[in-house]
Amino acid sequence: MSEKKKNICKGKTVLLVDDNIDLLTQIKNYLETLGMKVTTAESQADAEKLIAENDFNLAIFDLVLEHYDSGFILGYWAKKKNPAIPVIMITSVTSKTGIQFDAASEDARSWAKADVILDKDIRFEQLEREIRHLLK
Amino acid sequence: MFEIEVNGRIIDASPGETILSALKRAGIRVPTLCHMNDLMPSGACRICVVEVEGMRGLIPSCSYPVQEGMKIKTNSAKAIQARKTIIELLLANHPDDCLYCVRNGNCKLQGLAEEYGIRERHFTGKKSRGNIDITSPSIVRDQSKCILCGKCVRICEEVQRVSAIDFVGRGSKTVIAPAFNNNLNVSSCINCGQCVLACPTGALREKSYLREVSEALADPEKIVVVQHAPAVSVSIAEEFGIKPGTDIAGMMVAAFKRLGFKKVFDTSYTADLTIMEEASELVHRVKTGGVLPMMTSCSPGWIKYVEQFYPEFIDNLSTCKSPQQMMGALIKSYFAEKEGIDPAKIFSVSVMPCTAKKFEAGRPEMGRNNIFDIDAVLTTREMARMIKMHGIDFNSVVPEEADLPFGTRSTAGKLFGGTGGVMEAALRTAHFLITGKEMKSLKVEQVRGLDGVKEAKIKVGDLQVGVAVISGVGNASKILEQLKEGRKDLHFIEVMTCPGGCVAGGGQPIETDKEKIKTRLQALYTIDQTETLRTSHANKAVQELYKEYLKEPLGEKSHELLHTHYTKRDVLV
Repeated sequence: MSEKKKNICKGKTVLLVDDNIDLLTQIKNYLETLGMKVTTAESQADAEKLIAENDFNLAIFDLVLEHYDSGFILGYWAKKKNPAIPVIMITSVTSKTGIQFDAASEDARSWAKADVILDKDIRFEQLEREIRHLLK
Repeated sequence: MFEIEVNGRIIDASPGETILSALKRAGIRVPTLCHMNDLMPSGACRICVVEVEGMRGLIPSCSYPVQEGMKIKTNSAKAIQARKTIIELLLANHPDDCLYCVRNGNCKLQGLAEEYGIRERHFTGKKSRGNIDITSPSIVRDQSKCILCGKCVRICEEVQRVSAIDFVGRGSKTVIAPAFNNNLNVSSCINCGQCVLACPTGALREKSYLREVSEALADPEKIVVVQHAPAVSVSIAEEFGIKPGTDIAGMMVAAFKRLGFKKVFDTSYTADLTIMEEASELVHRVKTGGVLPMMTSCSPGWIKYVEQFYPEFIDNLSTCKSPQQMMGALIKSYFAEKEGIDPAKIFSVSVMPCTAKKFEAGRPEMGRNNIFDIDAVLTTREMARMIKMHGIDFNSVVPEEADLPFGTRSTAGKLFGGTGGVMEAALRTAHFLITGKEMKSLKVEQVRGLDGVKEAKIKVGDLQVGVAVISGVGNASKILEQLKEGRKDLHFIEVMTCPGGCVAGGGQPIETDKEKIKTRLQALYTIDQTETLRTSHANKAVQELYKEYLKEPLGEKSHELLHTHYTKRDVLV
């Protein structure tokens, strides 16, 4: 089973965007241990360029970058280019503001342009589980 | 014993007890908020103040020792005014969003405000806001609703001995949080949810997956199935005003059907299956010199506890998945194959007395081919809410049986719902596996009841089996430390994370006290006493599953579907 598990992430390309460089590096390193090819950006502007110029198998966005809704906008562009791309949003907006988002329903997912919303701090095993589920 | 005077009445009191304890015995009610039975008083909230003749100021009855000849007034104008002021001050910065709060209707603060007729805002403080910690898959922490009574801290530290949360900060900036005011998801929280039961307000609550479940039920593409844990049917009745300790399994199954679940399965069935695997594993370990004592693995809070605090005992844990996860795995394999359904289309819900089961279902190893074994876990409370929301009247439902192939259970599987139950069920089957005969008396009295640690020596054939049953993970370290010091006479240890077992789980009705726990436990014992199928190995439906699909306990298929592994866990402690 572990063989099977490995294959699904191996070689897949992922766009990872977060303005917290520590977290960005940690997640990048973790994804690379899963065999993924990680491209990173620290801003919405950089990420938009990357989306326009590349094709990715998966996208992971922080919500608040240079704008409050950067993650949603990136989700919009990513899905506009490739409606099948799975998007994971990682945010601490709820703990900071009390505003809650979720991707529990089809409506919510299409509004947020995200398939899964995870709240910081995340456990890496949690992220891995969602990635495997979305890539299956 | 001596006498004291309370409100003009003479009552008995004992030296050393608190005023509150003497009052309670005499049936005189004084409100409490921070008070916890069986723990040292903290005297934090002062809501229990009474007037004592000759003493200056008001006296907190929960923490003041009663003295001979005391003349007490519990409801003097002064005491009532003080309580009102305390409530008003607690409300001053409270978000006041009762209508939107999950505890609307059973909030202690709301109850007191009503009882004391708080109708005016004398203090208008700045409302608390924000800081909702929704990171944990099990528990939501909302600091704005916290009144700092400290009960969650105490249950976590003094009862469960996990100490995941504590007071952080000073003065008006004090909050209750994991270390460094971090969030629960990366803390040492084992997700047991005992803090949720202790919390007087909505500051601690379960993470709800009702929306996910409703969404799935509304999706015509999805086949939504549900399983219910052994402890749910003997406790959910309380949410509907039915006498505590009433088993309403049949009505509950009927209600689930009305909610739209295609199939309703009984987790007690996979409890029987767990016993087949676990008893076989125990016998195997004993015969082949494997790691002993073997420890149960049904309680996910306990599993995380071992992974983070006692990783040296990971090899002692049974590799069996919990009944919830075994059921989850079978639904998306055996059941799906049998019915010709694509497992990806099945949405598998479980109703559990437990918040840690939500975490367990989210463990990455709990699935196959990147499909989750379980898609959503609801607590007893959430399920009761769902039933109410759908307007289902228990008076009008006709009891129904759970569905095949996972609907038949033995009473041994049902006993899983209380402390000692896994042990009792496992002993019945291990005895049969080793000797080929049933135990003389199936009831194992020594492992029943609410004691924190119960031990017994059971004769199984020529073997003297040493067993220990731990009720409440806070008692586990006693035995674990003895094992570290070289204790060798134990073969099998059952640990249930919550004190009393699943009947007292963190997902159970909010009003869970010792009396209710006893009646729920008794309901399980009554089922065991009155029904005839009392051993897991005699469950024909389980035998059928082995014959048709799994072949044998601990076999290849079992290993693929029903067993798991554990890893040392780094957490913020």
